[in-house]
Amino acid sequence: MPASSESITLEGDLHARPAGALAVAAGRFAATVSVTTGVKTTDAKSVLGVMGLGATSGQQVTVSADGPDAAEAVATLVTILKEATHVGG
Amino acid sequence: MSQVGPQVGIVLVSHSARLAEGAADLAGQVGGGTVRVIPAGGTEDGGLGTSAEKVERALAAAESGAGVLVLPDLGSAVLTVLAMLEGLRGPHVVLADAPFVEGAVAATVTAAAGADLRAVAKAAEEAWHARKL
Repeated sequence: MPASSESITLEGDLHARPAGALAVAAGRFAATVSVTTGVKTTDAKSVLGVMGLGATSGQQVTVSADGPDAAEAVATLVTILKEATHVGG
Repeated sequence: MSQVGPQVGIVLVSHSARLAEGAADLAGQVGGGTVRVIPAGGTEDGGLGTSAEKVERALAAAESGAGVLVLPDLGSAVLTVLAMLEGLRGPHVVLADAPFVEGAVAATVTAAAGADLRAVAKAAEEAWHARKL
């Protein structure tokens, strides 16, 4: 199965609502999707897991996916992370 | 992406109307606002307690064709729901054994992604294991 991965640096903290948006979007893909920051990795489809990362501005976050729609999942989630944590956005 | 059809609805049963409303507001917003999250808190006269009539109305309001997950807060809210679901309990209404706020948020987000009732209930119950720190 195709695997895909991309890292970005957060421009803002990952608050509850963006964490929700991320998990909702992840849940619509067939691929398994994970989010990693520092030493913590969680299932991107688990909003409580994503919130539990405690990801803050300046941290590097990696989105990884494995499955038939992995590339699309990573692209979608990275876009959400960028938009949701963009300062003033 | 999968097709987004009818979503599982969520009913939050609390002793306190304000607690149920606040949790519904929070879960609804974190979930992006597409899921029916219906509070059923307090008694008919606005006091602390639970009301089978309120729960019944909330169940009807939450159902959009994919079933409803009910989350109670404490003690007699659980008993109220259990008693009234005796006749209703089936594939379309499931009572979750989950922490109230975390379960509501996890269930709502999972419902918003288009998951079925079984998966939404599982998400709520997995909230027992979510660490905050």
